[in-house]
Amino acid sequence: MSSRLEAEHLYKVFGRRQNEAVERLRQGADREELRADGTTAAVIDASFTVEPGQIFVVMGLSGSGKSTLLRMLNGLLEPTAGHVRFDGQDLTELGAADLRAVRSRKISMVFQHFALFPHRSVRENAAYGLEVQGVPRAEREKRADEALALCGLAGWEKSWPDELSGGMQQRVGLARALATDADLLLMDESFSALDPLIRRDMQDQLLELQKTLKKTIVFITHDLNEAMRLGDSIAVMRDGRIVQIGSAEDILMRPADDYVASFTQDVDRSRVLTAGAVMDTAVRGDEADCGCETATPGTPFVELCALSARLTHPVAVLDEQRELVGVVPRQRVLDFLADGASDAVPCDAPRDGQVIAHA
Amino acid sequence: MPRVPFGDWINSAVDWLTNHMAWLFDLCKTVFQGTYDGIDTVLQAPQPLLLAGIFAVIAFWLRGTSAGVLAFLGFAFIDSLGLWENAMVTLSLVLVATIIALVISVPVGIWAARSSRVSGVVRPVLDFMQTLPAMIYLIPAILFFGTGAPAGIVATLIFALAPGVRMTELGIRQVDKELVEAAEAFGTTPRNTLLRVQLPLALPTVMAGVNQVIMLGLSMAAIAGMVGTGGLGGDVNEAIGQLDVGLGSEAGIAIVILAIYLDRMTSALGTQVSPLGRRAAARLRAAQGLKIWSYRPRPAVAVIGVVVLALVAGGMGVFGGGATTATADDANNVGQGKRISIGYIPWDEGVASTFLWKEILEQRGYKVDAKQLDAGALYTSLARGDIDFETDSWLPVTHEQYWKKYGNQLDDLGSWYGPTSLELSVPSYMKGIDSLEDLKGKADLFGGKITGIESSAGEMALLKSKVLKEYGLDKEYKVVDSSTPAMLAELKRAYAKKKPVVVTLWSPHWAYNDFDLKKLKDPKGAWGKGDGVHTLSRKGFAKDNPVVGTWLKDFRLEEKQLTSLEAEINKAGKGKQQEAVRVWLAKNPGLVDKLAPVQQTAATPAEAKRPVNVAWFPWDEDVAVTYLWKNVLERRGYKLNLKQMDVGPVYTGLAGGDLDLNFDAWLPYAQKNYWDKSKAHLKDLGTWYQPTSLEVAVPSYVKDVKSLEDLKGKAKTFGGRIIGIEPGTGEMTLLKDKVLPGYGLDKEYKVVDGSTPAMLAELKRAYAKKKPVAVVLWSPHWAYSEYQLTKLKDDKKLFGEGNTIRTISSSAFPKRYPQLTEWIKNFTMSEKELGSLEAEIKKRGHGHEKDAVAAWLEEHPDMVERMTPQ
Repeated sequence: MSSRLEAEHLYKVFGRRQNEAVERLRQGADREELRADGTTAAVIDASFTVEPGQIFVVMGLSGSGKSTLLRMLNGLLEPTAGHVRFDGQDLTELGAADLRAVRSRKISMVFQHFALFPHRSVRENAAYGLEVQGVPRAEREKRADEALALCGLAGWEKSWPDELSGGMQQRVGLARALATDADLLLMDESFSALDPLIRRDMQDQLLELQKTLKKTIVFITHDLNEAMRLGDSIAVMRDGRIVQIGSAEDILMRPADDYVASFTQDVDRSRVLTAGAVMDTAVRGDEADCGCETATPGTPFVELCALSARLTHPVAVLDEQRELVGVVPRQRVLDFLADGASDAVPCDAPRDGQVIAHA
Repeated sequence: MPRVPFGDWINSAVDWLTNHMAWLFDLCKTVFQGTYDGIDTVLQAPQPLLLAGIFAVIAFWLRGTSAGVLAFLGFAFIDSLGLWENAMVTLSLVLVATIIALVISVPVGIWAARSSRVSGVVRPVLDFMQTLPAMIYLIPAILFFGTGAPAGIVATLIFALAPGVRMTELGIRQVDKELVEAAEAFGTTPRNTLLRVQLPLALPTVMAGVNQVIMLGLSMAAIAGMVGTGGLGGDVNEAIGQLDVGLGSEAGIAIVILAIYLDRMTSALGTQVSPLGRRAAARLRAAQGLKIWSYRPRPAVAVIGVVVLALVAGGMGVFGGGATTATADDANNVGQGKRISIGYIPWDEGVASTFLWKEILEQRGYKVDAKQLDAGALYTSLARGDIDFETDSWLPVTHEQYWKKYGNQLDDLGSWYGPTSLELSVPSYMKGIDSLEDLKGKADLFGGKITGIESSAGEMALLKSKVLKEYGLDKEYKVVDSSTPAMLAELKRAYAKKKPVVVTLWSPHWAYNDFDLKKLKDPKGAWGKGDGVHTLSRKGFAKDNPVVGTWLKDFRLEEKQLTSLEAEINKAGKGKQQEAVRVWLAKNPGLVDKLAPVQQTAATPAEAKRPVNVAWFPWDEDVAVTYLWKNVLERRGYKLNLKQMDVGPVYTGLAGGDLDLNFDAWLPYAQKNYWDKSKAHLKDLGTWYQPTSLEVAVPSYVKDVKSLEDLKGKAKTFGGRIIGIEPGTGEMTLLKDKVLPGYGLDKEYKVVDGSTPAMLAELKRAYAKKKPVAVVLWSPHWAYSEYQLTKLKDDKKLFGEGNTIRTISSSAFPKRYPQLTEWIKNFTMSEKELGSLEAEIKKRGHGHEKDAVAAWLEEHPDMVERMTPQ
């Protein structure tokens, strides 16, 4: 159903002599040099692949080029160089009309400030993409109502955007994006404008929806916690470049450079990490044979600590089929709590003679 | 610093445009005129109150009950002011201008909103259009589009365009970028983004722009009245020209009512058409609850109401509008419905003569259109041929500039009234300032400023280039360019506070009527001689319309006639000029036939069989006129026997019937004795040449002052002042240099330089209070019919004789020569014509009079037709 999204060496340069600037960037010039010439390199050599059904989070501070990158994915901005491929099509090769057709059917977008049309009712807003597609009124209203219901807004169809709270407005934005049945959902800091509690609700709802809808989602955020929560894969951007792509654990545990590391410093690991990230996959196969409590790869680190405290032996991690996928010895829990990145160093004189395997 | 000939460039550009782009302008003109005519017809057709009802229903629908009621009251008020027709003209003008402005400005605004480059180009152009004084493009507008609605529409359009473009651009640019991005992100086409997102959201702002367009259009429509668009603008213009605050306020109020109505309706419409506005209004209504005053019918109800009223109106228009215009009977239907367009400047004599001719020509079967215009506009349209003729050109001095510029594109049909004068005037409370010379060294008193009129006026040019220099005042005084209304307002203001002020004026002017002013004497004669009021026509008008041409060439009004006509028109009030003319014509039976004789016979009349015995005196003018008539009449088949005689024998011969005609009767003074002796057997066939009589006049309630000599020792009574007119006029010069010293009054009296209007105003003021006043006047002047005045006798004849040159005949002549009598009665000659003819005769020498006349007639080809129209 969903299709793979590929970005290949994407460049976006604003200002004069863009192609020349790209060439210079390829040869290793940096952003500051170009800025002196009056050109701004917003995105430099961005390549990544988003697998169908994945949530790909692009994280970075403001000005890092993440929004520009997102807009190149649906052709709102034309890349200065590079290619975007989606569903077998090279979007960068398409003409304006074809590109619009792709945008109206295959890619939809959710905006930071909701971008609801104030002159349209909630239902008309949700039905907007369908209206652009040319879906007859009756059908598009039905589908819009379904999308609204999916987002928990049943009964609000006749209201007007300005009568809704921020969270509800963004649900309308989400419903509008979902109503078109697009495979690719681009979310531009969609939850950043919401207050923390609501943001969390929305994140939960998105994850819940994703379980059933299995869309391919590119999610932009500047909030690492949000990135960790949502992202199957996370790209960290800095000054227009993607400095690291990896899972939440990769980012957290194996930062590509000091910048990423400093970024992850303040992250509450116990909230972000799960048993799956911590567990030792070198298993013997019988660790779950006892009747003790077990964890799943998704078990948050906090719970894992509690489990580990209650058990005398390492916690067994079982997948949905209740197959053993890994174990978490208590030492490992302590390691991660300590600094998260380093493995335990064996003691010169172990007192209990237990050998700790390396991860 | 080299002079950049910017003005020349513009002139040549305008010339080029007029020559090469005429098709484009004509196309625009057709479109504008067509749209305007359409809307105007629709608005003028229904009964005023019915249309007011329709407007009220629209207001009821858009804004509720109270708005509906108020709208009806407002429009009914306009109707009751008698301004309905003009209000609808203005409304049509504004609507057309608004529609066209929107058709242009909204797309341009959209374009500018989408392209910063376009915006960058458009913005300075808009600034330019909005700040360039309207008058500057009013004139080219006339050049391109002629006078009337199209020029007014263009001027209004240019002025009103800017807010439309600006607000559209602003509105679209204001739309949240994220919303536009959202629309694009869902694959909306640019067109649909505009239509579905940007325009609906920009609509309130765009509607505010529309509102501004209408408001500016309305304010401009008043100014456009100067180019003959008529309507309320014309009324305002006229009121300003006449300083008629009453009429001005009425027209102003009507404009305000229109403005408020249009403003409220468009802003309500803005709410109605914009989805956001509709929602806001609905919410407000829900909060307030339903009240009778804010109740609004549903659109369907409103539409039904409007349609029903419109149907009733339309039905009445179809069935009620019978033919009401009087049609000329067959014999007099010379015009056969031919259209003639007359332009006039809203000056008293212009209005009077224009409406007189309008009435006469209509009686003669022409369809006449009288347009009120600004002087510049008048000449431009005349030169363009948009207007056939006008009757109010002050030549050779005042309108010299125009004549120089357009003279070769115009025909001068001769002067019908004269002379007039130009002058500087001060209020008569300005003691000690009676002549231009008195201004010297008094710059402080007047703030160094002479309040002028339109800098385009001939008088201003003369003042600046000649008059001030001649009196050495050019260093001391600054002539403030302004406008006639502004000058009059300034005068009024200063006058009310008794502050010193010196203004540029001319005579005749009603200001002399309203204020107590003195015309500054012009002992050096710098202002030159007075003008004659000329009739000018477009080139070839007389050829195209030989009959009317002849009538106009023969047109001449006496003082009494003009003043009584003006008085009648003033009495009737604005908008009833033509009725006044009818009333006046009824009091002057036969005048129509005299001014516009209908030719009964052609070729040689029967009367021509008998030779005409003409007696003449060996005086220059008589030689000239006699030989002229001989030449002309012989062309018409008459035979003239010329007999040179002395005065006495001529009167005797005429009385006895031996002689038929004499062209040189100086009456009523010079040949008074002869005339009185035999007048029972003589007929006066009227004046053909008329020098003016000049005099000092006092109100007749000033007893004991009957002659100039009586003024002696009465300086106290008159405050030592004689209220003069424009300094520099012949009369003022004469008065100061010759008359006053001649009577020994120069020590005692000061002649207050001023202007004719100021003098008349002073006279009016004094007259109202029955205060003694002595004013400089001349005959003919309407003041004599307005007030009981005593022309002070000039026993020493220092002002010169006050005769006119008449044609007299034997008592049997008119019956025997009806055709000839008619011709002679209509015959006039201007000073210039007579002078040139005399010069020609003198040049050729004695015995060659015939040749001289023939040569002169070559140069005056219209003369024969003028003298003896067929």
